Amino acid sequence: MVISPELINLITGVISFLFTLLIFSYVLGDNPLFRIAVYIFVGVSSGYIAAVAWWQVIMPRLVYPAISAVNTGSSALMLELGLVLLGALMLLLFPHVTGLGRITLSFLVGVGAAVTLAGALTGTLIPQVMGSINAFDLNAASARNIGFMEAIFNGAIILVGTVLTLAYFHFGARPKADGSMHRLGLIEALAWGGRVFIGIALGVVFAGVYAAALTALIERISSLITFITGFLGNFL
Amino acid sequence: MANVIKCPVCGEGNLPDQEFCQYCQARLQPLTGNLKGADAPITPGQLPTKISTADLEPVLPQWLREARSSARQTAEEESVQAAQPKPASRPASSSGNDFLAGLQSESQDDNEEDDVPDWLLNITGEAPKTKKPQSESSEVRWVELGDKKDFTQPEPVSDDVPSWLTGAGSSTPPPSEKNDLTDWFRSADDSQQPLPPLSTPPVSDPQDWLHSMAADGGAFTDSGNNVADESFTSSDTPDWLRAMDAESATQNVNAPFGNSSLTPDSSDTPDWLRAMDAESAAQNVNAPLGSSNLPPVSSETPDWLRAMDAESAAQNVNAPFGSSSLTPDSSETPDWLRAMDAESTAQNVNAPLDSSNLPPVSSETPDWLRAMDAESAAQNVNTPFGSSSLTPDSSDTPDWLRAMSAESGASSSNVNVPPASFETPDWMRAMDAQEKPQSAESAGFSATGSGESGAAFSSDGDTPDWLKGLESGSSSSDQDWLKGLQADEGAQPAAESAPAWLSSAEPVVSTPEPPAVAPKKEDDALDLPSWLKASAPQSSIFDEPVVAQETPAAPSSDTQDWLNAFKSTDEPQDQKASAFLIEEPVAPTVSKGDDKPDADALFTEMPDWLSIVDDSALHESIPAPITNVDAIAPGDLPSWVQAMRPVDAGVPQVVSTSLSGDKAFESRGALAGLQGVLPAAQGFSPTKKPKAYSIKMNASDEQQAQAVLLEQILTAETAPVSIDSFSAIGTSRVLRWLLAFLFFAALIAVLLMQTQIFSMPVGMPVEVASALQVVQSVPEGAPVLVSFDYEPARVGEMESVVVPMFDQMRNPRLTFISTDATGAILAERFISGPWAGHNYQSGVQYLNLGYLPGGQMGIRAFAENPLVIAPYAINQNSSLLDFAPISAWNLPPLQGVTSFSQFAAIIIVTDNADSARAWIEQTTSVRGTIPFVVISSAQAAPMIQPYYASQQINGLVSGLYGGALIEQSAGRLGTARVYWDAYGIGMLLAVVLIFGGGLLNFVLGLRDRAAAREAK
Amino acid sequence: MRVITVFIAIISGLAVLSGYFLSGLFPVLTEVQTHLLNGAIILTGIAALVGIFNLISVHTDKVRRGEKGSVYSALLVISLVITFFLGIILRPEHDAMQVVMNGIVIPTEAALMGILTISLLYAAIRLLRRRVDMMSIIFLLTAVIILFGSATLPFGEIPLLGTFSRWVTQVWALGGVRGILIGVALGSLTTGLRVLFGADRPYGGN
Repeated sequence: MVISPELINLITGVISFLFTLLIFSYVLGDNPLFRIAVYIFVGVSSGYIAAVAWWQVIMPRLVYPAISAVNTGSSALMLELGLVLLGALMLLLFPHVTGLGRITLSFLVGVGAAVTLAGALTGTLIPQVMGSINAFDLNAASARNIGFMEAIFNGAIILVGTVLTLAYFHFGARPKADGSMHRLGLIEALAWGGRVFIGIALGVVFAGVYAAALTALIERISSLITFITGFLGNFL
Repeated sequence: MANVIKCPVCGEGNLPDQEFCQYCQARLQPLTGNLKGADAPITPGQLPTKISTADLEPVLPQWLREARSSARQTAEEESVQAAQPKPASRPASSSGNDFLAGLQSESQDDNEEDDVPDWLLNITGEAPKTKKPQSESSEVRWVELGDKKDFTQPEPVSDDVPSWLTGAGSSTPPPSEKNDLTDWFRSADDSQQPLPPLSTPPVSDPQDWLHSMAADGGAFTDSGNNVADESFTSSDTPDWLRAMDAESATQNVNAPFGNSSLTPDSSDTPDWLRAMDAESAAQNVNAPLGSSNLPPVSSETPDWLRAMDAESAAQNVNAPFGSSSLTPDSSETPDWLRAMDAESTAQNVNAPLDSSNLPPVSSETPDWLRAMDAESAAQNVNTPFGSSSLTPDSSDTPDWLRAMSAESGASSSNVNVPPASFETPDWMRAMDAQEKPQSAESAGFSATGSGESGAAFSSDGDTPDWLKGLESGSSSSDQDWLKGLQADEGAQPAAESAPAWLSSAEPVVSTPEPPAVAPKKEDDALDLPSWLKASAPQSSIFDEPVVAQETPAAPSSDTQDWLNAFKSTDEPQDQKASAFLIEEPVAPTVSKGDDKPDADALFTEMPDWLSIVDDSALHESIPAPITNVDAIAPGDLPSWVQAMRPVDAGVPQVVSTSLSGDKAFESRGALAGLQGVLPAAQGFSPTKKPKAYSIKMNASDEQQAQAVLLEQILTAETAPVSIDSFSAIGTSRVLRWLLAFLFFAALIAVLLMQTQIFSMPVGMPVEVASALQVVQSVPEGAPVLVSFDYEPARVGEMESVVVPMFDQMRNPRLTFISTDATGAILAERFISGPWAGHNYQSGVQYLNLGYLPGGQMGIRAFAENPLVIAPYAINQNSSLLDFAPISAWNLPPLQGVTSFSQFAAIIIVTDNADSARAWIEQTTSVRGTIPFVVISSAQAAPMIQPYYASQQINGLVSGLYGGALIEQSAGRLGTARVYWDAYGIGMLLAVVLIFGGGLLNFVLGLRDRAAAREAK
Repeated sequence: MRVITVFIAIISGLAVLSGYFLSGLFPVLTEVQTHLLNGAIILTGIAALVGIFNLISVHTDKVRRGEKGSVYSALLVISLVITFFLGIILRPEHDAMQVVMNGIVIPTEAALMGILTISLLYAAIRLLRRRVDMMSIIFLLTAVIILFGSATLPFGEIPLLGTFSRWVTQVWALGGVRGILIGVALGSLTTGLRVLFGADRPYGGN
């Protein structure tokens, strides 16, 4: 049985239209239709992810190498896969943070911590610190057609913003005589400036989120219009 | 009745485990608790716990161990002395594998006298020897720590000969060892002469080691000859004792056990002791030991006592115990002395031991005493025992002592023995019973008991150890009396074989039954610690003729209890020769009843003579200061040593009351066997039921009010406090619907009309320009790694920017990978949807490596070794049954690519700043100079912007705005343009609504807050 | 067990970490790192499966107990199972799965994202009524400026607004965001070190 692409597109359009309307019904308030759509969406998404995990994780990275190891007699590979399989079994049999599952989780946490640590150090911390310093690099500014004063001024703002923001996240405090906890005066002043920069950054992020959401809304409305016009066009 | 404790107040019988009388609630048990390791009281005849005494060696105090070690060294000397014809009885040494073995050795040591206190030398009548100063005094230890309970506990059970006595049967110790009661034990074994059958009742818990001793009664005679002239000059001896010693040396007075009436006046003298002294002195009993006077042997009579008894009976030893001759002449004479004097003058009873005079033997009578009784009955020996009276002639000697000495000198074998108490211990009664068939004269041994029958002192088997030790110091500690018993077997008169400790037989509590108080000295000797026996050859009193002995130095006013005991044991009694004495009967020094005035005068000036040191003694014996009296903590003492400590010696004020009214026995503790010591005092023991105190809190109203207040405070602390928060936002459904209507209406209208009113943006940011430049610089057909890491929700936004970006590239070989599970299919959607015009085919122009799990870990692993981490590609065109994986790195899209750095460009399409950051961070060290462009959603762009500023990425294009810029710059309008008018409307609406609505709500907020302040 | 888990976490972490910094001296560390990471990503994929199975069990229990909303749970489980078996049989890249993705997942998520527009706007409007402070005002002003600068008018861009908006984004916002990123990096560094030192044991080794 061969399903024509038109039919597939029609089925897809109908389903998409229905689910979009169901979700949009939330504008009127929480309702069962919205919930039905959400629950089905969660189920489908989970099922799909499970299938992806099977076909794109277990099969190519565990089953196929195991078959290959058996065929080639690679003991090292078999050992490695055996260990992984053992860890996988422990994780499956003891999914919670109990029992033997903790061994697998400890391995994952240890490796993940190392990767995160190294990545944060080499990929963010040092480069961003260097970026704050290089903001005053006049040669780099001139390469970007940025003037001297503009580079110095912008660099200063960036540097001040970075420092003040970091100061804002300094939560070390000392107890006062009345028992209240307050930061040092200097830190408090820096933190006040940091709040300004953080407010600006979050405002920008808010605008970006709004733009992304608006784009998604436009896409959905556009799809509805497309489906309706296309559906009606077939009948009109 | 060992199972019943008679209440000292009401006289009713109570169970022994009761602390208070069930009738009158009077205290039955001593106030002092049991010592460590001695929870249960030890009663005479009690089945002892089998303890190998050799095992106790490590726990012995240092001084005791030293004494034992020194005793081992003096064994040879002891043997030499034993060979002398001196009529002193020598204690036998024990075997070497126990703690008494050390005593044997100690007897061979020349330094034996170092362990012998002077006062004991005085008792024995020997001249003190010059001694080296010692840092430690054993007698002091004994006084401090001694207790009787633990001494009896290690006694072997039944036929289990204790380890410390095992040598008695097997080894043959030197017969002439100077000290150690083990001598007579050994002699008991060596002499295999059968004993006449005991007439005592069967013993439930016989002590066989004493049985054997009884069977070998003849051995006593040999070993008992050696102790007589031992001099005890302990360097640790107090001054007054040294003075006593000096006098003893000058006068050469033998001080048998019972004849010394040294009872220094002391306010600390316990009542029972005073009572004992009083009655002993008053009655002045002539108490020759006679087995016929022994009461019926109790079932609890120790075997060794029965053996001793039997031997005593066999030898028929008349052992009149020492007559006490107290002559107090001071008006300050304590009560006990006055009582003693009074009774002495009143009764002056010549009370040879006779069965008729002895009370029924208590069930607690030790076997050894019964054995001794039997032996005494058999031999029928008159043993004038301990009749020496102290007759001090020194100028420092107080009058009462001089009187006492005179009395001692005048004392004969007739000892005024107070009538036996009705509470005479069973073992005494047993001794009495065994003495019955014997002649009255043969009561040398039991005469002590009879002689003491009238004494106020309770001769119960539970006599305190310290007293026993003192008594032993006179007689039995060296077991001289046993030696004498052995030596005089069949030859010695009963008076000689009578042990001095029996002669000193403390005046037994007066009972309705006139005679018959068996001395508890046997039991005392049994309880005597071996170390004391080793160090104090008191048995010399059995060996030497009992002559008057002057009273040595006077004690201080703080006379210790042991000194009181010493006094009591030295009470002159009319006695016959000890059954254990070999030598001729000692001429007893019987105290006269008319010595009372002297005694009274004596005790009025007591402290002087006690505190004065006799120079004659000083030159002979150098006193060793007791420097480490407290060196041994009580808690560190072995239990048996602790048990020897007097349990309660601080109740002198109840003497008179106790003596007068209380006749109850103490059944446990160091005072066990004594009568009326503790509880009889009015005011000490409760006379009614303890008052019941309510446990209900008696609080005033103010206190209760404060308690309520405190409770309220605590309740308030634990009660949840509502957080002063802003009131919940009233969800404005109308505003929500209005906003929704505005947006849906505007957007639908714009999209439906497909207007293109709003102009496209023209000002291209630098990051977008850089990204565009990178994309455009990718060589044609170059492998480009594209990561689709965005959610399906951003499909419209991302596709609107990805498509124009990818359109800038010239037929790149695309390799898709995704760190999001849906990224792979979104890439397929991209290829088959917006990118469909390029006709890219999987495995030809593009390749989808699929899902890369693990987040940063997957990215790092892929960057390090992409061929291992992502070896296979998604087989888009494979059939359902085709499970064969497709090796990705052999396909055209990845041709020539074996590492991460061999891609022409890396494009990250993501809506998540974290995903972009992960790619940036994990590929920094491996990507080299590969162009790295991020196509992101508008929401993630601000967070990715710093990486562009730090030049970690080469370009950044975000959102619909970026797509519009690319389309605008490329001149190829697409999806961005379709959405752009709606996007512009939406942005303007947002600006207007946020600005206008913000101002409006700001005003409304001010109004609300003002209203709230006014409301407050 | 605790010692074992801590030991595994530390050893594996140190091995991977050494691959970052010592691979130049010891190339074998790169290979070790790759194998460890490969095992980790496999286990992570399996962990996703574990999570999905847990989701199934939770909603199955709800259906079994007949709790409120069990109908929705039943729908979830049914749709999940169907999609899973369909994906297992047909594979995820199959056209049928494309229909599922394009017909259900993408529209639903996008619609939810679209509704977020209304919610975000509603919140921004109501913000000053609830909280009037400097940060709120700066936040809203910045958002308005960026939104306004991102839009165009029918007659073209608003003069200087786009430039000012980009300057705010690329300079002012960059300083704050960089500070946030550095703070996040410091936090990640600290957390990683604590895990490698065994101070933090999020795997249940407490």
